[in-house]
Amino acid sequence: MEMAKYLYNEEAVANLRISDTSVLDRLVDFESARAAHLKKEHAKKDKRMTIGEAVDAFVKDGDVITDGGFSYVRTPHQAFYEVIRQGKKNLQMIGAPNTNQSFFITYGLVTHSHSSYTGAEMRGIDKVYDRALKAGQIQILSEWSHGGVAQAFKAAQLGVAGVFSKQMLGSDIVRYNPYLKVVQNPLKGVHDPVVFVPAIYPDISIIHCHMADKYGNAYIYGPAVNDLAVAAAARKLIITAEEIVPENDIRYNRQGQIIPFFYADAVVEMPFGALPGSMPGCYYWPRQWWEKCMRFGGASAENNKAFCDEWIMGVKNQFEFVDKLGGAKWIAEARRQTKAAEGDNEDIDFSYEEYTLKHDSGIYY
Amino acid sequence: MQDLNAPANPLETLAYIIAQQISDHSVVYIGTGIPMVAGILAKKTHAPNITLVYESGGQDPIEGDMPWSVGCPMTWRKSPTIMEMSYSFAQCYNGYVDIGFLGFAQVDMYGNVNTHMIGKDYHHPKVRLTGSGGNNDLSSLTEKMVLVGLQTPDKFPEKVDFITSVGHLTGGNSRQEAGLIGNGPAAVISPWGVYDFHPVSKRMRVKTLTPGVTFELAQQLTGFELVKPEGDIPETKLVTP
Repeated sequence: MEMAKYLYNEEAVANLRISDTSVLDRLVDFESARAAHLKKEHAKKDKRMTIGEAVDAFVKDGDVITDGGFSYVRTPHQAFYEVIRQGKKNLQMIGAPNTNQSFFITYGLVTHSHSSYTGAEMRGIDKVYDRALKAGQIQILSEWSHGGVAQAFKAAQLGVAGVFSKQMLGSDIVRYNPYLKVVQNPLKGVHDPVVFVPAIYPDISIIHCHMADKYGNAYIYGPAVNDLAVAAAARKLIITAEEIVPENDIRYNRQGQIIPFFYADAVVEMPFGALPGSMPGCYYWPRQWWEKCMRFGGASAENNKAFCDEWIMGVKNQFEFVDKLGGAKWIAEARRQTKAAEGDNEDIDFSYEEYTLKHDSGIYY
Repeated sequence: MQDLNAPANPLETLAYIIAQQISDHSVVYIGTGIPMVAGILAKKTHAPNITLVYESGGQDPIEGDMPWSVGCPMTWRKSPTIMEMSYSFAQCYNGYVDIGFLGFAQVDMYGNVNTHMIGKDYHHPKVRLTGSGGNNDLSSLTEKMVLVGLQTPDKFPEKVDFITSVGHLTGGNSRQEAGLIGNGPAAVISPWGVYDFHPVSKRMRVKTLTPGVTFELAQQLTGFELVKPEGDIPETKLVTP
């Protein structure tokens, strides 16, 4: 058995029944992350390629992969579907949330979960995860709060070994997370527990942005969530973008939430890359799609497989996905909705025909 | 079309009761679900000057429709700034947030919350739930918390199956001993009653009950012994058309 490199929280290792703790190492292995960052292409070179080429070159079996954006907001769904179509194996998933691991679990790609939140808020809990856990198809390697994951990514971006947090103290999360240790605040003379949250380094991150230049300078509009930190931390980074723009467009017009080019290994032009998630400024959700996914897909493993086969394996790329949703007409409506939601358009009626198991509203507009 | 004169259903009633906890001009951190409805309701009625904060990073949106998710553009509609997630929670730690609202699957007699799993064996749960999301972070850091959910003996057990978020832990000053920030849960709201916590023991206590609900009925809907306040128990003020 390979010896683990780190002194993990022993209570958590026992509670999670992790027999070989070396499976935990990659996520906190700063030395190998720094070495990977040093070895990357630092020259300003054209890194454009197709999503197929990028996934083939940079997503490897056994990688720790991150769930970007926020569940179904600016999440790289279409790139994830390409990862599924290429059949990668033994992936670990982390994110805040890590909701989209369930698409990977359906096809057996993700076998280990660093868990913070799975589900679709008011649309329901994640029955795919529930079933996979009960069947022993997936092992939880650590439990986190959203804020805990956010701090661990941020620590990596800050360039520190970790942060001392007041989050997760006293809860069962610290008893089910091998990476966390409760220690005394060294500057306090009185009892003052804090949680040491280590910096974390995913192997591969895919971040969907609004605009990128061919070198990988990438602009995010709307919530960045954890992605600026994730981009800095990841050993390998694929940027997918709604559009590729000249470098000067970023330089002159897009100050703000920018991922610097030398973090990126690949740049992929991928309009509609966040679908079926929403993309700030670009398109609102196909809400019935998510309701059908959670409610119909949640009802049984067979339903879920049929739904995913139809929408992931049954399409070659995001354009076919758009066609299935209703094509240009759907896009026009989704753009109108997102502009209205942001206050950039006249207010419109947001009511819609909800999908329920008793009433299949259809998932088109 | 919705009938605007129809009596409020139990979830609408819940949203109304929660909204009553919100004072105007405060900074309010909103979890997903019913708290989101209540926050918008408060802003549209008695508390138009509150500032809403969401964990996806949205905060201080101008008035709009009901968000579909905490990541919905409605949560950052023309916001002066949008926070990264780590910075958003930090605002609770740093004392800028007055009150937070969260849902639960289970809440125990000390206001500890479970959103992880139902069952006694972590490895063989009856049901795996969502996990923490921001629930733990808000409970760990926010000055004043209000917890919101449905009430049955299973949802109000003596001990939660998994402590996702610490409320008053094991009572007394155990929350402070564990090192947490803020005062912990101030209230628990269900369709049947509003509960607070005894100032010393930190055990859950009846504060007000929904009209028609007696202390005995509330007790029957609870998996542990509720603390009965001195004197008459007031009725919860409900929405009138």
